[in-house]
Amino acid sequence: MRSPPRPFTANGVPGVRRVASAVADAARRWSDADFPPRVRATRAIRERTGYTEPVVDYALDALFGALDADAILATIASELGSLEALETFVARPGRPDVTYRGVEHVTIVSSDTTIGVALPALAFALCAGAHTIVKDRNDRLIASFAETLAQEQPELGERIEAIAWDGADDATSRSHLALADTVVAFGGSDALRELRAHLKADALFVPFGHRTSLGYVERESLVDGEMAREIARGIARDALLYDGDGCLSLHAAFVERGGGVDPHAFARIARDAFDEAAFEFPAGYETDAGLEAYRRSASFRAAQGRGAAFAGSMAPHLVAYDAPQDEPPPLVRRTLALYPGDGPDDALAFVRRHALPLEAIAFGTDVARADLAAFARASGASRLARLGTLQRPPLAGEHGGYGRILPFVRAIYRA
Amino acid sequence: MTVPHASDLDDAFLAIVRDWSAGGVGCDEERFDGLALATFAYQRAHNAPYARYAETLGYDRDRMPTSWRDVPAVPSSAFKDATLATFDILGAELEFHTSGTTAESAGKHFIERAALYDAALLAGFDRFMLPDRPKLRYLNLVPNPRRHPHSSLGYMMGHVSVLRGDGKATYALEDGVVDVAVFSRALASACADGQAVCIAGTAFAFVALLEALEAEGTTFAAPSGSRIMETGGFKGRVRAIERDELYTRLEASLGITRRDIVAEYGMTELVSQFYDSPESRDADVRVKVAPPWLRTLVVDERGNALPDGETGYLRHVDLGNRSSVLAVETEDRGYRAPGGGIVLLGRAIDAPARGCSLDAEDLRALAASALHG
Repeated sequence: MRSPPRPFTANGVPGVRRVASAVADAARRWSDADFPPRVRATRAIRERTGYTEPVVDYALDALFGALDADAILATIASELGSLEALETFVARPGRPDVTYRGVEHVTIVSSDTTIGVALPALAFALCAGAHTIVKDRNDRLIASFAETLAQEQPELGERIEAIAWDGADDATSRSHLALADTVVAFGGSDALRELRAHLKADALFVPFGHRTSLGYVERESLVDGEMAREIARGIARDALLYDGDGCLSLHAAFVERGGGVDPHAFARIARDAFDEAAFEFPAGYETDAGLEAYRRSASFRAAQGRGAAFAGSMAPHLVAYDAPQDEPPPLVRRTLALYPGDGPDDALAFVRRHALPLEAIAFGTDVARADLAAFARASGASRLARLGTLQRPPLAGEHGGYGRILPFVRAIYRA
Repeated sequence: MTVPHASDLDDAFLAIVRDWSAGGVGCDEERFDGLALATFAYQRAHNAPYARYAETLGYDRDRMPTSWRDVPAVPSSAFKDATLATFDILGAELEFHTSGTTAESAGKHFIERAALYDAALLAGFDRFMLPDRPKLRYLNLVPNPRRHPHSSLGYMMGHVSVLRGDGKATYALEDGVVDVAVFSRALASACADGQAVCIAGTAFAFVALLEALEAEGTTFAAPSGSRIMETGGFKGRVRAIERDELYTRLEASLGITRRDIVAEYGMTELVSQFYDSPESRDADVRVKVAPPWLRTLVVDERGNALPDGETGYLRHVDLGNRSSVLAVETEDRGYRAPGGGIVLLGRAIDAPARGCSLDAEDLRALAASALHG
């Protein structure tokens, strides 16, 4: 019989099960929309982002709903081989025995992220036993969650420091970067380069750069109108949920010819789905310059008989059908270009032509087709999903292609 | 309205240019309106893609605009998506291409008569760049028009160099790369001759030049009367600096005062150009002015005209665009200055995206790094 997990490791760090349990308990409290800290955070996030309340609520429900103890522990066990490997040597078939030591210091720079994306990284850094500094946004979401965690488990609160972030150019920020064994950073290329320059030489840098996601509607998912409507509802959700912000938002989708519903007809169905989704997730603004500029271009092309521009009747959104594939996708808010295609080669050529850094590809179904699998592998995306689920990445997935706890531990092998 | 003849429209346009060049007003509201509406009627009849688009905006044979402000504008991207010409483009005397990543993705502006382009160009350049009528030596950090005949900027500076220069123009830009040695030799020679120069280039080319000169520790004291025409932003390039910093460094490296650095604002899709007004060149905020045949409306996201002073998007109406499209909607932001003219701000489309979103600037940088290996 295995011994129960120790509440604390030899160096006084809470055991991984206790940490996971505390994180999950705190997340459960935050899953309640009436939890006062969440109410305050919701207001602050709305002010910062301009998102409407349903959007922020959806985001927080998804975020905290995913922080489940079983999922956290299963992820760690999967990545390290077992939970015990965090505390003692464990045997591995064909390789030397191994144990994993959590790094001392982790810094998470979350200042350029959408809602709460630093939280999973924080949870796993804590599970590794690291002292974690989180550069928070002015909505103080991480700081507020850390306070709840400290209520759940005071010694955990002592291991988190959530502070405002003014960029890498002040002395305090530089010292936080220079101290860290692992730095997780979200931001654009220039910001990431600047951050990296401040790290100590042997620090591990886990960058999450700016990326986008692509939809692919294979012909098997367009058998009939009902199926097409379901797919279109998924696309609309993935495109509109965060006003098109974030690396998981859709701005482009390919629609295969040869299904029961042709791509142009599907674009009309998507127009209706966008109108419906806009009721569920309304925009926090009346219009958008990028969207309008793209709409004018699409309307001009439509007047020439090429493609179509389906603008929202009551809300700002746009479905542009058959935009030129030699132009980049419309990286503007609440705007989706639907491209008709004959197969995944068209989509892959598009991705390569525009050097699109993909976070995810979303398909209509789980159909097993060798050409789709080859496309997905070649695309550079780190996640494949079903349309409609893009904005709910599972905690156990490797966000950005990285392990969840692996960046926060170092292996010690015995041989 | 009966459809006018092209030659009548061209004559009317050239008369405005002549009048303004001779010190007259060029055209008042009524004259501008009249020629704009006549030109629209002509373009609706002879430019099918434009007519089709205008029809979707509610303008057809039965409903014509009643003021230049109502003339339907095409988005500048339309020059990529259709051939916007009122004539058989095989007869185009000028053909300019916008910067695109590939030849097929570039917009093309076909101009039937070079005389209109040349007249508009020289009148504006003389007024705003050469009010003292000097014969300058032109050092051009722009594409050589002999090798790049479809560059409107190359054509512009080539034309000016020939007609207003001292006959010793130099081009120090090839394939987008500044040839610093060629430039330095040419400027040193002008300094030795005591010949004032006009250095013309894009902001990005000037940054590249400055970086090289500063690395070498080379500075010049350009002869008195020298000036700089800086144009274009940093669109499509990876490195951007503030314009104020750019001008400070140009002063230090080339010995040309900030007052003699003039920003030109033009578009491949337009025949005419804007320049910094002389009155605003010492001010913190520079105001762009244009010859009277080029007018600008500031509009909101949906194309509705905004009151003076409010920031919006620039819609240009250029009477010189007789053989293409009169009114062009841009993604450039700005506002109407109190004393006339416009203050140019950044491009809306280049506003940074939020969160971990990919934005247009990210994509350009990625595409550029992919191209360069």
